[in-house]
This record gives sequence, structure tokens and C-alpha cells, in this order.
Amino acid sequence: MPLYLCNTVKGAISDAAKPKIAADITRIHCAVTGAPAQFVHAFFVEEDAAPPLDGKSAVLFGSIRGGRTDAQKAQIVSEMLQSIQTHAGLDREDVGMLTTDVPASWAFEGGEVMPEPGEEAEWLARHQRPTAAE
Amino acid sequence: MISCTCIVQAGQVSAEVEATLRTNLSAFAERAFGEPAEINWRAIPERGGFTAAKPSTSSIISMTANKPIAQPERADLLKEMCELWVRETHRSLDEVVGVISDPQT
Repeated sequence: MPLYLCNTVKGAISDAAKPKIAADITRIHCAVTGAPAQFVHAFFVEEDAAPPLDGKSAVLFGSIRGGRTDAQKAQIVSEMLQSIQTHAGLDREDVGMLTTDVPASWAFEGGEVMPEPGEEAEWLARHQRPTAAE
Repeated sequence: MISCTCIVQAGQVSAEVEATLRTNLSAFAERAFGEPAEINWRAIPERGGFTAAKPSTSSIISMTANKPIAQPERADLLKEMCELWVRETHRSLDEVVGVISDPQT
């Protein structure tokens, strides 16, 4: 957690663009929230039922830990949309993005329940490690 | 039926293990919530999954309970569900994300 699931029409995002977008998604999420990179998942599917495309070429759906501010979520959406546009060569109106808040206590990752907002310090100390994405 | 979505990386879970996981997750749901699970199995295509911006070996298991759950019970259920997954897939706990949601209101 977070999980960013990107659904596209067939071929809208090339295999070459996917790792670039995934790197941006990871970098943006970590920069905005301070979360460790190893818990950021970016998955790409084509012509899937979810998230619904609703006429778009690509839709990114982020399931993120509850407690992020509206400003943080707006920054995440703005920067990730820009990344998809840039790397996939899509127009702004062809790309959509939504996020949903998942209470931290509902999720289990890295062998333990995720911490609530404001209770991250010990958890981060156990899980933070340098990666190429950070 | 309890809704359960499993997101896996294509090619990382054999058909045999998938069948066992479906059976075991449904049995888990029956024990935990009194109803079997309806499993939505989604495979992320090769070169389509990334964790920490690197090719992913992670799986996500997301189940929606049929009643609100107190946190100590949820923590125990999450641990049991993820360990069930690890036991069959021989992956590590670091490669599995479990979510047990309360029902939508």
C-alpha cells in the first residue's frame, strides 16, 4: 500500500513507458507522503473492467492510506497525470485519475498492520531502506 | 458471498497453487465471516507490475467483510490471511499485501 492500478486501452502505454511511469509514481508518492518506496506498487493492465476507462485512453486509480491531506492528494494526481501524459504521449483529456482512502488499520504489509497517520516513526524506522527510486 | 480480489503477477502462481489458494481463501472467509468467498483473480501482465519502481513479485489480497470488525480481530485475520498465502506460494511476507475492509455503508 499504496497500490496504483493503471488501466488503459490496448497499446496506450508502451512497455518502454511503463517503468518510467512506475518510477515517477514511486518518486511522487514518496516525495509527497514520506512513505518508503518498497511499499509503492504500480500495476498496469489493459482493457480491464477496473478502473473503468469511461472513454479515456488511460485511467490511474490510487488506493492510498487514509489521512493524506487534500493538498497532498491534489499534488499526487497532478504530477502522476503529467507523468502519464509525458511518457505515453497522451493528451490531458485522454488520461484520468482517481484516488481512494484506505484506513491504515485495514492493511497488512511487510509482516504487520500499517500504522495510523501520526504513528509512523517506529514503523518507518523498521521499514525505511534506501532504494534506487528514493 | 464475501468479495475477495487477488492481484498477482502473471506467471508467478501456478494453476495448481491458484486452485489451492481459492479453496483456502474461501474456507478462511467461511471461518471468519460465515460465508464463502467469491474470488476475483486478476493477473498483472508480465512487464506490467512494479514495486519500488522495480519488477514486482508482490501479490495483493483484498477481502470485504460482511460486518464491521474490531481492530484486534482484524489484525489477527490479516495475519492469518497473509500467512495462508505465504504458505502456499512460498513467497515472503514482504511480498504480500492483505486488506480486510469493512462493508461499504
